[in-house]
Amino acid sequence: MPESEFTRRIDTLWQVHPTATRAIVYGSPRHHAELAYLTNLVPKLEAAVALLTRDTEPKLFLGGGPNMVGAAKPLTWISDLAPLRSGQAVGQTAVAGISAYKIVVIGGGAMPTAFRQSMNEAMGGEATDATADVWKQMAAKSSHEMAAIVGACGVLHAAVAAIDQSKHTSVTTAVLAGERAANQAGAQDVRILFSRNGGRTLEPFVTRVNETADPFQVYVAVRHLNYWAEGFAHLSARPNAAKSKAMDVLKRVLIRMRAGIPTRDIANLIESSIRSDAPHPVTMHSCLNTIGLGLEEAPYADAGETIEAGNVYSLKAGLQNVAGQHAIVSAMVAVHKGGNDVLWISP
Amino acid sequence: MNFQDRLADILWRMQEARLDLVIGLHDGAHFIEKPNPVMVLSGFKSLGAAASVLHADGRLTTIVTPAWDAERVGDANAGIGIGAVGADDIVAGIQDALGGAVPMSTGIAGFRVLPSRIADRIAAAFPNAVAADKLVFDAARTKTIEEIADARAAARIAERGYHHLLAVARPGMSEDDLAVELKWHMKSLGADDNFLLLCASPHNRAVQPSNGRKLQTGDIILAEITPSVNGQLTQICRTVVVGKPSDELARKYALVVHAMDRGIEAAKPGVAMGQVCRAINAVLEAQGYGEYCHPPHIRRRGHGLGFGSMRPGDVALDNMTVLEPDMLFMIHPNQYLPETGYLLCGEPVVMTQHGAEPITTEKAALASIAA
Repeated sequence: MPESEFTRRIDTLWQVHPTATRAIVYGSPRHHAELAYLTNLVPKLEAAVALLTRDTEPKLFLGGGPNMVGAAKPLTWISDLAPLRSGQAVGQTAVAGISAYKIVVIGGGAMPTAFRQSMNEAMGGEATDATADVWKQMAAKSSHEMAAIVGACGVLHAAVAAIDQSKHTSVTTAVLAGERAANQAGAQDVRILFSRNGGRTLEPFVTRVNETADPFQVYVAVRHLNYWAEGFAHLSARPNAAKSKAMDVLKRVLIRMRAGIPTRDIANLIESSIRSDAPHPVTMHSCLNTIGLGLEEAPYADAGETIEAGNVYSLKAGLQNVAGQHAIVSAMVAVHKGGNDVLWISP
Repeated sequence: MNFQDRLADILWRMQEARLDLVIGLHDGAHFIEKPNPVMVLSGFKSLGAAASVLHADGRLTTIVTPAWDAERVGDANAGIGIGAVGADDIVAGIQDALGGAVPMSTGIAGFRVLPSRIADRIAAAFPNAVAADKLVFDAARTKTIEEIADARAAARIAERGYHHLLAVARPGMSEDDLAVELKWHMKSLGADDNFLLLCASPHNRAVQPSNGRKLQTGDIILAEITPSVNGQLTQICRTVVVGKPSDELARKYALVVHAMDRGIEAAKPGVAMGQVCRAINAVLEAQGYGEYCHPPHIRRRGHGLGFGSMRPGDVALDNMTVLEPDMLFMIHPNQYLPETGYLLCGEPVVMTQHGAEPITTEKAALASIAA
């Protein structure tokens, strides 16, 4: 990602907050979408804080001690790196020479509460939270971002294909084949959940599972060039009525995925299309979310009121039928003014 | 001590502190340096934010997000009698589990490290709650028999992983590829998680996350290998040379191992943890490396092993924790020396009545792979 992409994003932030002169941006290995959006850094071990200013060079403070400074250098365009000492130190640096009301905080909700309290005390007050504004900025993807997401979908495809090919060996072998394929395709992070009960519940890898599962329901999320792609796949060589119906529902909704459509209509369409069957517990309240730098929980990844051109969505259809079958399928969808492009869909 | 014994200890401490209720909270972001009161109270490693609610009468409920993950709590705690509740929102889930009745005296563990977006709502819901971290983690200063068994299993995986590293590492391979290979192999052996630092250089300043460097002849590979079994971490620290090690490197590594041995010998029941650090430092100071025994070169000589409790804490001069049987921790000198760079050497130990017992089968020794 060129440095100009980041300076453009920061310029937009200042335009949205004309009275702010400094911004504190927090990110952790778990919650880092905003920090990555503005600095390209995804913290590997411990939290990091960027201090952006209107007039001077930005600084980046890295948790984990002085050793982490060198490790972070290749991961960001910011050149002024230093160890992250404490929330108090961040607050003191941010407020030096100005009032707290001229500072905005981004990602503050993810800060450990003791860190945030000490930062606020040092600043003499709580700064305006600009997190939601940054998420609005993040909605419209640039061509660079779209290329990264397309790449992530390629990694997702490789992972799911590897799981599909290995599903007859054992659950663990299949999951590890998926992880390995994703890493070999360039994934920075891979998260897989699987089901041993035909898709009724999902679980993470806890211990070796030497049995096979058929059908094999999996959820795979991969991060590539900092951008996430996720997908559900219901894998079986045998026909499955629940899967067939879920795929039909998914494809029907994909036809309707256009800019300007209320997201509520998408949820209603899925609900009505499932009809006599019940929604799957996993997708019951989350059939549609945005995706990109964050693989986040609500409210950050909420799809909002309407489908927007330029954004990328993860669309899911899940159900449980009267025969006791369960299935979840999904698609990664890029929406543009003329319709949508399906970047990945469940096999 | 087993899980039920620990729970009984926590209940006794609640009585002493006059608490009707203790809530352990965790956001589901599991990290080696972040203690997890939910794991201490329930043994459950959650996907998302979770809470364990313990009443003074012994009733224990674990609330998990996302709601559909609740079934796993029951699977993980079969026979222990922990109630499980699924919730889409952790704060609302806790309030529902309490049926709207908030006991007068409530303690909360895990609050200070909770993301503020959750913590602010918890503070509003329990305005009179007091911190209960000390209460919960004091009771978890020693490991249960289950946790020690898991630590031993994780140590076996770590050692097998290290042997795999020696088998596959070669010049031209990137740090990242080696790290992925190592993680993958240990997962195939049953590790549910892995905290891995792996880097290489002819002269390392510190151990760091992998950064894509390709291995070269003369490199010193540093590997801090930390697999987890059932949520219990164990660690080994190892150093590998690409090619033949120099005599000086071999001598310096032997010195660091000697320092570790002195540290292990010093770890006895009744001794303060700081004495272990002092014993390690003494060996290095005697060889003229006193200035390298303090920050920024070294912060600690070991640490506790989570994911649940991090007690007995760091192997550091200022740690006055008195060692007891069944404590589990790392002893790792992990020293920067000007002649060789940073060297990794460390073993996990469990305290017995006689002293610290390494739970590895092979002690750290300088290894090499073909150039």
